[in-house]
Amino acid sequence: MTYKEVQHLYWRAGFGLKPKELQYLASFSKEALVNDLFQKSKDIIPLQKDLSYLKAFPQERLKKDAELRQELARRNREETKVLNTIWFKRLEKTPRVLRERMTLFWANHFVCKDMTTAHILKYNTTLRTYALGNFRDFVKAISKEASMIRYLNLNQNNKNSPNENFARELLELFTLGEGNYLERDIKECARAFTGYRFKFNGDFWLFKKRHDYDAKQFFGKEGKFNGDDIIDIILEQKQCAQHICEKIYSYFVNTTVNKEHVREMVEVFYGEYDIEKLMRYIFNSDWFYNEENIGIKIKSPIDLIVGIQRMVPVYFTKNEELFRLQTLLDQFLLNPPNVAGWQGGKSWITTNSLMLRIKLPSMILEKESYSYQYKGNVKNLRIVSVKNKYQEKLTVYVDWKAYKKSVKKISLEMLKDTLILCEVNRGTANYIRRFGRRPSRKNLVNLMSLPEYQMC
Amino acid sequence: MKRRSFIKNTSLATGMALVPNFLKAFDDLVPNLNTHRNLVVIHLKGGNDGLNTIIPVNNDIYYNARPKIALKQKDTIRLNDDLGFNKNLMPLKKLYDQGYLSIINNVGYPNPSRSHFVSSDIWQTASDHSNILDSGWIGRYLDKYGKKPYNAIQINDDLDLALRGERRNGIATRNAKQLYRSLQESDFNTILSYYDHSHHDEHNLGYLYQTMIDAKSSAKYLYETALDSNLSDSYPKKSSLSNQLKVVGQFIKSGLDTNIYYTSLAGFDTHANQIGRQDKLLKNYAEAIEAFVKDLRKNNRFKNTLILTFSEFGRRVKQNHSNGTDHGAANNVFVIGENLKKSGLYNSLASLNDLDDNGDLKYEIDFRTVYATILSKWLDVDDRIVLNQDFEKLNFI
Repeated sequence: MTYKEVQHLYWRAGFGLKPKELQYLASFSKEALVNDLFQKSKDIIPLQKDLSYLKAFPQERLKKDAELRQELARRNREETKVLNTIWFKRLEKTPRVLRERMTLFWANHFVCKDMTTAHILKYNTTLRTYALGNFRDFVKAISKEASMIRYLNLNQNNKNSPNENFARELLELFTLGEGNYLERDIKECARAFTGYRFKFNGDFWLFKKRHDYDAKQFFGKEGKFNGDDIIDIILEQKQCAQHICEKIYSYFVNTTVNKEHVREMVEVFYGEYDIEKLMRYIFNSDWFYNEENIGIKIKSPIDLIVGIQRMVPVYFTKNEELFRLQTLLDQFLLNPPNVAGWQGGKSWITTNSLMLRIKLPSMILEKESYSYQYKGNVKNLRIVSVKNKYQEKLTVYVDWKAYKKSVKKISLEMLKDTLILCEVNRGTANYIRRFGRRPSRKNLVNLMSLPEYQMC
Repeated sequence: MKRRSFIKNTSLATGMALVPNFLKAFDDLVPNLNTHRNLVVIHLKGGNDGLNTIIPVNNDIYYNARPKIALKQKDTIRLNDDLGFNKNLMPLKKLYDQGYLSIINNVGYPNPSRSHFVSSDIWQTASDHSNILDSGWIGRYLDKYGKKPYNAIQINDDLDLALRGERRNGIATRNAKQLYRSLQESDFNTILSYYDHSHHDEHNLGYLYQTMIDAKSSAKYLYETALDSNLSDSYPKKSSLSNQLKVVGQFIKSGLDTNIYYTSLAGFDTHANQIGRQDKLLKNYAEAIEAFVKDLRKNNRFKNTLILTFSEFGRRVKQNHSNGTDHGAANNVFVIGENLKKSGLYNSLASLNDLDDNGDLKYEIDFRTVYATILSKWLDVDDRIVLNQDFEKLNFI
């Protein structure tokens, strides 16, 4: 495998490699590398978040005490922000990169937002549990998650007054894709999910009095379907596999979908709905490594920050700063913009965000000052309320020793090949030639400040 | 995604096969100040309560539905027998009397969304609720008719979806000097000084370089062209919208080659204790408008400027239990300008007797007909190419 191919695999399945890791792994075959990725991601380890503060908020008292409920809501907002930093650390440190990458992908597929920290933690655990598992079980589990039940109003979905919010998104976003069902299907689907509720601890329960036990007509079938039955019928439609494969292809391979490649993927996926099998097929295919698929994706803000951190260990001493970066770059983990999630690609880019992205490496690594302005109310997760424009430097700690060690005996050329996957603009290549030959801090920052580094 | 291909197909169908105009030479033409027209858009974010903005002062349904928060007749500024302005809108009343304000009632769209986010997206992209497009309507205007990214400017650090096109984005800035300076702080200039124009990439990398080139040329243009903002007439201080409009005024007086300015005022999501909060916001809004119009008139630019004010939805007719109102549907839209064909009330307020299933006002005028009218009659472009559909034109201008 060429360095480029290995780095491509590791950027799409993970968050990139350091130069020496890259050199080491390039000696293995594709099959061995892919196997290794899956092997390393076998374990499912939930984010470790201390929830002992909940002891001060017993359910019985919350029922009666409005002030205590408000206090809990306030506390949960704080704790959810802490959860955000815990996830960030996981992204930076984990050796189980594929599971982490898949979890990010599914979090932006089964998009959900919730302020009850315990529930959103549980939701996140479900995402990582099924991230490489069975899609059928995955959808069913998601439909019974407390956070999802609240987010898409399933708890207001009753036999006598169905709420179609969840049913619509289930068909439109989670399974079939827009235009592949009728309005009538949504109505019948909503009926099957009536009475979906959750307990205080986040466990699912069915409120039988509110559940519609009568017969429903759905995709040409008739029966007393419940929610799980409906999901089974949806998955019988080949369109479901088609929709998921297209989405996976645009995220992991190329936003310009190659119909033939997707057709192959659908053949692998449909029926069994085994996510691991599908992902193995993609990473083992020849076309995944085609030139036109490498280095063409615009990194998400999370990719960008985590990518820098994985090259040079960076410790954010103030959580607020990590929050501010996420806000300024428009991707705040656990706080997606809406049920469709982050659109990705070009939508990350505006004049201002690009200036910030180009400056980010020197801000983080060289602690250059930066200007920012408070961007208004970030829904639910209330972020630093700074009113005016500030000039500030990050207070991060950068472990340069570790970096030095990681580039010992590494040439600038090798560092460039590690950091940049796309074809470099000819003029920019001339610029790089002036850097000299050493992978110094300065050269690292300069390479990371190129538009080419925005690509993966 | 399908939404994207929909736009592409439509633009092909209309014969506008898009030639990528990457790296097009910049010809800095100075617009003709006498014919150059500006549109200023103001988004009242959060869903402004239209019924407490223009109040149906003789309507028992209104008073019964809002026992605690209905505005009494004596607290309003009489507009006609049936309607009154919120008392904080005196400056708008003056514009109304002069024939410079058109109030369009019951503006909305079919199957309304009550989500701020979705409904804002619908307004900003000019979409059907069932098919929300990825690009903004002003962004598509830039795609098809813009020559420079600064043909549309949002006075903010962040760029709303409205100004994001398929290929081209507007510029977001609060301050021409600041944009120029932060660009100097960045590595843009160094990188671009090496950039080889003949070796451009048609895809995402090329898009990044193009964004940098656009930013650089726009920042330079604004820095060199925009007059000093201190020269502006006095605008109310400590008001976000007033600060934004002051910058817009500065840009317009400088004769920038910009056709659309985008601004916003947030905080209208008044679920609880609405009265004081909305009053304050409407006062901010009205005073900012007053200073802006005065500034423009003094400099003979009001005749070239049209101001459109909208909110993503109105609010429920019936008040809630917290002396506020919940998300509603249709709402009023204000158009301000010197050359209105129909000033005053464009149409009458919809019946409060005939609400939708949620208890909200039903829409009568699709908001996209307002856009279509402005695009075709004010900005002089083919609205169908920007909106992907042929909407009826209204006759307020």
